[in-house]
Amino acid sequence: MDTEKKSAFRFPRWLGLVAGGAACAALTGAAAWYDLTYNGGRLVYPMHSYAFVPTDIPVLLAVGLDVLYVLYLAFLVVRNARAQKERVAKTGRTRRLSPKLGFLGFCGFLGFAGFWTYGALRDLTGFIFFAFFGFFGFFFEGKMSNTLMDERYRENAVRAELKALRTGFAIIFVLLIFTGQAGRLTSELVAPILIAGIALTVALTMFLSEYLLYRYDHDDAAAMEEE
Amino acid sequence: MDGFTCNLKACRVLRGLTQGELAERVGVRRETIMRLEKAQYNPSLKLAVDISREVGVPIEEIFVFE
Repeated sequence: MDTEKKSAFRFPRWLGLVAGGAACAALTGAAAWYDLTYNGGRLVYPMHSYAFVPTDIPVLLAVGLDVLYVLYLAFLVVRNARAQKERVAKTGRTRRLSPKLGFLGFCGFLGFAGFWTYGALRDLTGFIFFAFFGFFGFFFEGKMSNTLMDERYRENAVRAELKALRTGFAIIFVLLIFTGQAGRLTSELVAPILIAGIALTVALTMFLSEYLLYRYDHDDAAAMEEE
Repeated sequence: MDGFTCNLKACRVLRGLTQGELAERVGVRRETIMRLEKAQYNPSLKLAVDISREVGVPIEEIFVFE
């Protein structure tokens, strides 16, 4: 009995992924420590040109492992997305998604790092993370997970998407007018305002299309009154 | 919806079908049938024809537009 139970136990896949990520992070940390202690910090501090030295191998291996891990994660995401797409086409139901994925929306706060990176390094990349606020939409998509996509659902989806896109375009238009006031804004301010504004608009559009679809589907009467 | 009356509930009950059964037969969700019965949703011609066939009542008697 015990043997059967033991053989039936399956190691959770997500735990394997987390363990793999933690191992990669630990190895990278150890490699950085090795580089600082025994290799003069060659690969830790910024350099202008690189020439291979055998003592670099531990760090290069650790970075190589990191790259492989990220590639594997990307492969899993693409494979899962493709499987979901096939299932949606086959069953006519929405993809299976946990509403808890909505918590990924908190990653949008990483966008505030843009203020620091732009100030210190003149790098605008950080602002792009504001777009992650759109992941809050997973909360509503998850609530409508595995729903039969009948004609009312499809009609509501088109309606919701149209309204979300119109809102997004309107905001981008206002943003363009605002940033176009070149005389009043310094050119240094235009780029971060545009990048952060567009990232936030993308997030709002992503969120709004899911939120409105949920609302139209569950609260049709109220939505119609509003229109 | 203004000027739209739906007699689907009476026709369905007369036929001895539940909302869920009718929904399954015409390939929509039970909520869609519920909205239809409350005259809160305007169905496509195909859905209207499918429903009419399932309950055995002409379309114009189920969906009335004034």
